[in-house]
Amino acid sequence: MKRIIEIIFISLILLQVSCSDDFLKPEPLSFFAPENIYVNREGLEAALVTVRKDLKVEFYGPGNTQGAIAGTDEGGCAWLGQWSTVTPSGGGNVAVGLINNIYGYIKNTNVIISRIDEIEWDNQEDRNTILAEALFYRSYWYYRLVHTYGDVPFIGYELTNAKLDFYSHSSWTILDKIQSDMEFAVEWLPEIPKPDRSRPSKYAALHLLAKICLANTNFDKAIEAATEVINGPFALMTGRFGSDKDDQWRNVYWDLHRPWNKALAENTEAIFITLDRDEAPEGAKTIGTYTMRAYICTWWNSRVKDSRGLMGCRTRNPDGSNTAAYDTLGRGNPNVTSTPWFTYHVWTEGGYNYTNTPDLRRADCNWLDKHEFLYNEPTSPDYGKPINPNYFSNLSDTLICLFPAFWAKTYYPHEPTYTLHPMGGRSDWYVFRLAETYLIRAEAYYWKGQQGLAATDINMVRERSNALPVSAGNIDIDYIFDERARELWIEEMRKNEMVRASRIMAKLNKNGYSLENLSENNWYYDRVMSLVHWYTVGDMGYGKFDLSPHNVYHPIYVNVITANTMGVINQNKGYVGAENNVPPLNTIEKEEWEQ
Amino acid sequence: MKNFKTKIFIKLLENKKNFRIMKLTLIFLIACFVQVSATVYSQNTKFTFDVKNKRVVEILREIEDQSDFRFFYQREQVDVERKTDLNITDKTVEYILTKLFEGKGIEFDVREDKLILLKPVGTDLKKLDPWIQTHQQRIISGKVTDERNQPLPGVTVLVKGTTHGTVTNVDGEYTLTNVPDDAIIIFSFVGMETREINLEADNIYNVTLSQSAINLDEVVVIGYGTAIRRDLTGSVSRVESGSIRELAPTQLTETLAGTVAGLYSVQSSSAAGGGSLEIRGPSSLTASTSPLIVVDGAIFHGSISEINPADIESMDILKDASSAAVYGSKAAAGVIIVTTKRGEIGKPTINFSARGGVSVTTHDIYPYGLDPDGDPEDYLTMHRDVLRQNFPTRPYYYFFKPEDLPGDISIDEWMNYSANPASNPMDEWMGRINMYPIEIENYKAGKITNFYKEIINPGIRQDYNLSAGGATENLNYYWSIGYLDNEGIVTGDKFNTIRSRVNIDLKVTEWLNVGTNTQFALRDHTAVPASVGGLGLMSPYGSIWNEDGKLRKYPNDYSLVGNPLANYYEQDQYYKINTLFANLFAQFELPFGFNYRISFNPTFSFTKQYNFWSDYISGVGGKGERNDSSLSEWMLDNLLKWNKEFNIHKFDLTLLASAETNYSWWSTHYNSQFAPSENLIFHALQFGALPGLKDNDEKSTGDALMARLNYTLLDKYLFTGSIRRDGYSAFGQKNPHATFPALAFAWKISEESFLNISWLSRLKLRLSWGINGNREIGKYSALAQLGSELGWNTEGLESGVYNTTLANPNLMWEETESYNIGLDMGLLNNRIDISIDAYDATTYNLLLNRQLPAITGFTNIMSNLGKLGNKGIESTINTVNINTNNLNWRSQLVFSLNRNKIIELWGDYGNYRLLGEDHTGELPDFQNRYFPGYSRDIIWDYDVTGVWQLDKTEEAAAYKLVPGDYKAVDVIEDNNYRQLDDKKFIGYRTPQYRIGLKNDFTFLKNFTASVFIRADMNYLAPMGFLTGDQSTYDRRNVWGLGYWSPENPTNDYQRYAFPNNLSKYEGGITIYKPNGFVRVQDISLSYNLPSTAARYLLLNSMRIFANIRNLFTFTNYPGFDPESGMAPMPKTFTLGVDLSL
Repeated sequence: MKRIIEIIFISLILLQVSCSDDFLKPEPLSFFAPENIYVNREGLEAALVTVRKDLKVEFYGPGNTQGAIAGTDEGGCAWLGQWSTVTPSGGGNVAVGLINNIYGYIKNTNVIISRIDEIEWDNQEDRNTILAEALFYRSYWYYRLVHTYGDVPFIGYELTNAKLDFYSHSSWTILDKIQSDMEFAVEWLPEIPKPDRSRPSKYAALHLLAKICLANTNFDKAIEAATEVINGPFALMTGRFGSDKDDQWRNVYWDLHRPWNKALAENTEAIFITLDRDEAPEGAKTIGTYTMRAYICTWWNSRVKDSRGLMGCRTRNPDGSNTAAYDTLGRGNPNVTSTPWFTYHVWTEGGYNYTNTPDLRRADCNWLDKHEFLYNEPTSPDYGKPINPNYFSNLSDTLICLFPAFWAKTYYPHEPTYTLHPMGGRSDWYVFRLAETYLIRAEAYYWKGQQGLAATDINMVRERSNALPVSAGNIDIDYIFDERARELWIEEMRKNEMVRASRIMAKLNKNGYSLENLSENNWYYDRVMSLVHWYTVGDMGYGKFDLSPHNVYHPIYVNVITANTMGVINQNKGYVGAENNVPPLNTIEKEEWEQ
Repeated sequence: MKNFKTKIFIKLLENKKNFRIMKLTLIFLIACFVQVSATVYSQNTKFTFDVKNKRVVEILREIEDQSDFRFFYQREQVDVERKTDLNITDKTVEYILTKLFEGKGIEFDVREDKLILLKPVGTDLKKLDPWIQTHQQRIISGKVTDERNQPLPGVTVLVKGTTHGTVTNVDGEYTLTNVPDDAIIIFSFVGMETREINLEADNIYNVTLSQSAINLDEVVVIGYGTAIRRDLTGSVSRVESGSIRELAPTQLTETLAGTVAGLYSVQSSSAAGGGSLEIRGPSSLTASTSPLIVVDGAIFHGSISEINPADIESMDILKDASSAAVYGSKAAAGVIIVTTKRGEIGKPTINFSARGGVSVTTHDIYPYGLDPDGDPEDYLTMHRDVLRQNFPTRPYYYFFKPEDLPGDISIDEWMNYSANPASNPMDEWMGRINMYPIEIENYKAGKITNFYKEIINPGIRQDYNLSAGGATENLNYYWSIGYLDNEGIVTGDKFNTIRSRVNIDLKVTEWLNVGTNTQFALRDHTAVPASVGGLGLMSPYGSIWNEDGKLRKYPNDYSLVGNPLANYYEQDQYYKINTLFANLFAQFELPFGFNYRISFNPTFSFTKQYNFWSDYISGVGGKGERNDSSLSEWMLDNLLKWNKEFNIHKFDLTLLASAETNYSWWSTHYNSQFAPSENLIFHALQFGALPGLKDNDEKSTGDALMARLNYTLLDKYLFTGSIRRDGYSAFGQKNPHATFPALAFAWKISEESFLNISWLSRLKLRLSWGINGNREIGKYSALAQLGSELGWNTEGLESGVYNTTLANPNLMWEETESYNIGLDMGLLNNRIDISIDAYDATTYNLLLNRQLPAITGFTNIMSNLGKLGNKGIESTINTVNINTNNLNWRSQLVFSLNRNKIIELWGDYGNYRLLGEDHTGELPDFQNRYFPGYSRDIIWDYDVTGVWQLDKTEEAAAYKLVPGDYKAVDVIEDNNYRQLDDKKFIGYRTPQYRIGLKNDFTFLKNFTASVFIRADMNYLAPMGFLTGDQSTYDRRNVWGLGYWSPENPTNDYQRYAFPNNLSKYEGGITIYKPNGFVRVQDISLSYNLPSTAARYLLLNSMRIFANIRNLFTFTNYPGFDPESGMAPMPKTFTLGVDLSL
């Protein structure tokens, strides 16, 4: 008996020892690993799904970058114009931490680019199409980085190990690189993407290439690329269309910006869009555009007093449900206060002003002017009357409590079942629209001194909106950016474009600007200061607004610099830490897919 | 025959030690039995032998064992090593001796005193006399009493170095025969100081035993075995059931807070109890630093709350590497071994206990205006002061209440500050300070809502335990069931559990024992407490309810501040965890001193966590989710032990082979937008419009081999050596295994003859070294993982993936190497016992989420990097201060100190700037605030010295600050706050000293009392909310700790303002407040019913007691409680009764 027991336990021990190698092999049960996913075309296409989705952070959710960037130009002022608080430590500006997110999206593109040749391709065209799309997105992000931060490290491959020795590349080197990447993308992306324009087409790539070439002062190539788009299957929308087309009071510019009109096949103006629909399941949709939070005045605030000197507006009915005004106007914060320049002065043209301009973009139907915000407190004697800023304790409260809203581009109501705070519901969004293509080509003509051609392109855009044509003699860079504001504000990353123009001007040594002292003297700063008097009038009751020339670039987030212990990532001049900079790298090695 | 019986008893006693407890009554009973049976002795004792090839000396010893006979002979003359066969039945000793020495030239002489002389034939007896004289055997007797002169029955009386002995009878008397003249007699009794008596001329020895400060003979549980306390080589602390039952704890961590040197525990403030545990400082930067829990020899991965404290017999805390090394990879943070109760020999015992208590807060802090002793208008004053700061350009008195205006400002003038004043000053003022309609209404009506009382109020606690246990020769059993129901001090915080345990040990045959230790716990965590954080936002002029009786969504009318009771009323929850943890074993006695034990330890856990948020609070037509998770683990331990004693050598060998597998399953499904109604809550999620589901399953495996040898030489020099090899699947496939060796040595110096100091009863030196591991990282940390994304386009859904982590195939175990030196001293007959340990532990290959620059697209990678050191001293002093008839007073003082240091970090070297100076060396990790050469707990921040005051306006302006802003040391005096130049090391986040003092009193025979005072000293607490966003302070409340204003120019807190100037401090600023405290943590008093009275009630015993936890706390911490921070901490009053049938 004892013998048997001994045999049993000795064999038990031996059994355990002998099987331990296999026994300890980790067994992932509920997640995918690179080794078993990125092995075929389907795997890389799955990676592309994420890459496409990454773009949505630009336009959706609280603190989306479009909203954050809009507060950094002459059209709007971010809460509340105190640029001295924008420091490498963060300072509350979303665009400072943005660098971390963008490199995350670049990482996702690099996974595809680095692994493209690890797959046996039956068809080189498949390879090139997938690669082209990844390069498109990577170039998009580097374009954004260069025009937000200037010199940054170029990372062009998937990291598989810890790396802490990054160095900044010259922004011009990066522009060269993404220009050539986009030339490849243009060659291989489909003319008409399937299933819809939420995927980049050859024309979307050409549009981006035009912007990159323009930034890189390759004006001829920019014109060439833009022309190919303009001659492509697109046209500016001139007639009424889509969801509200029977509403006589509205106009085509309103139609262009209705949430679901952007993706309609009949909309020939959309080149590249993002989709965000209520009907998509959780996880496949965002929480909304937040336009009614970011751009609308805080009309419901307790500072909005009525003739009694008491609160004149309310967000909730006594039963806790939203008031009609709240559901319609949303919970304006505002993240961005529209400047008088954008709400009024930029529309003053040819003897007209904002009240009577024929320009459809400033038509009453597309705007909510101050007198259209009404008291909605039922107990107020002023119920239903326009909000009267004279009743406010302090007139400076109009900075946040009462200013006009660009309604065509910000009115995105939530779905009917929504009962939370209304912030701006879901909507598709234009990434690239033909109107911008015209303005890009116009700008390229302008830099080449061809004002006439520039005026023709600008007038294409203006005519659609019934604005008076501009003559060639009136075309200068300021006019082009006035027009960009009228057409594209709350749509594009405007500050990036202003920085692009500032860089071009400095590179061309025009108007006394130069690249050497860009952070001390630049067109962006000069233009904003000349158009937005808020920066110069002193404290209006919300602290003094300030802007400095070095704010042309955002600071590099300090943690990016400190975590990179073995290398040097340059800080932008004017911010703390720039004294440790080293000269940026001027070469980017050829990547494996290029060889 | 008397000796025979005695011997059995002593054997029994030794076995008993394995079960450790010896009830006085039991000893008493057996002692009586021994006395009676002693008279049965007869000189005509008959012996039966059937042996082959046995040494003569063994046969003689056997006879001595079975009778009162003693043999005397000289080894040179009598060959007793000779081997022989002997087969006889019922023969006298004379017959046996004749047979044994037939033809060997040896004769024998049986004397009256049962002494048998063996001598060569013809030896002159007279010649032997002097020798006999010196070896004359004596009979000694006497009485053993305690210090109060009470007789002590059941005291073991032994001739030192033999198994020859007896026990005292009911009157404390003993008689011991056959005592050699030069013998030393040992008197020992559980809980008393063991005494040794050198025989002198006298034959009567009355002995007084004094109570010892600690029990040296108790059996301490070490990994995979036991040891007697006096033979320990490592650093092991023990907590007894006695100190547990007085505390009425919810779970065992509560009994450990502050009471054990080197064990750091923080009390939890929730009804479910809990709290953190850490042994000898943090041994890791990211992996878990919680100790391993072992229950009845089986490694326990479950929650501590599954273990009913009422079932705990003792807890042994293994602190040094050598003690813990047998658990290898899991032991770097120390080991707590829980031993549960067992049956006791005798008739079945049934115990019942009931406790009831009530909890209130230890300390209250209030939002402005909600202090019941304060003025509700403090809230409005706070808003006034915020608005004054927010709008500095407005007239100074703009926001003042009209009646607070100074005499030289007329109401009219004040009214005209506004372009459009209201019709009367009161309305104008309310408008100016942004009062909401409901606030105005309530203010005018004089209605104050005491939100504090609604959210924080006393909680009732109750705890009932029933157990039955007993033991026969072949069966030991214990069964228990306990029900505990706790209410927290926050409305809606509750916890209840039913816990049951079955311990069975069955002796099937002489060589086989089988049994089980099984625990089952049903825990109900269903609790949706009110929001304490939300309470901090409430206006005294808000309302909880609408006029229609419905819960008011926004009590202050400010639509960003919801009702703190919203979830309590509007969220449904079902959250229960059922767990089964079993240990099934079979133990085989094998030949040659071997013993084999196989144990199979399955664990099952089932959790249902269902939630439903009504449309009222979710706003999405109702939102529900059902989380179901389960866990299944098994571990198989094969344990082979070998015990052998050769003269002065003692060996104890333990071998282990073990394997384990852990599975966990987690599924959730959820839905929202319910129609036609949300009344079915989470019971029917199919009625929602937006269903979704998620699953996550995990698996890990591990194996281990371990060998340990304990070797004792001369009972003075003790050696332990062990080695363990562990494997775990979470590590990189290049390094799944690691080896953990350990060595220890102890020297009982006081046993040496050269050390003979009267006041020094005991002195032991312990040295140990060992390596332990830590595997507490995610199960798949070494693998690259992909996350998933859902995309949507006009054709429908698409699934995306993206890399979330970087792979590290080289990932390996974190290893802690530590040295321990310990000294145990007993002074004044062990009435004072001092134990001091010093240790130095270094953790290598730290498992670290190495921070990567975010531009890599990853925030970190799990790596092995760096070195972390922990050095410390801890000591425990136990004393018996007074021991008289009516008062027994004992004290225990516990002191611990740990110093932590990051020795190496990422291994990146270069130039860096810190504290305003340039340095060259290893680069700090500023993001995580890890600084090589400094403690992990060090605080690197601006040294805030106060607040800028009005008379320093210009100096403040140099920093772009204004009066009321925090003022910090500007180290390099450049009028800027830059983190690398101006941040300093200003303190520590964890206590730098910990002291516990426990005093136990027994008085008037039946009363016991105990007071435990604990001090955690010298550390700081970050007060994050003090530097948080203040943009809405003009519209809501905040905890009323104070703020700066021109009228109240405090130096402790800044002004409330938006925008404030905190961004002028590069890298952010945090305010720290002292966190050290001294707390009277436990006071208890109990009364034992006298046994006569108990018997009258048909009870074995009865005890009633009262306990107060956290009665007094002395601290400068401004929040609720230094242990719970900004959450209220319970102060609990408990009454209880224990009955034993």
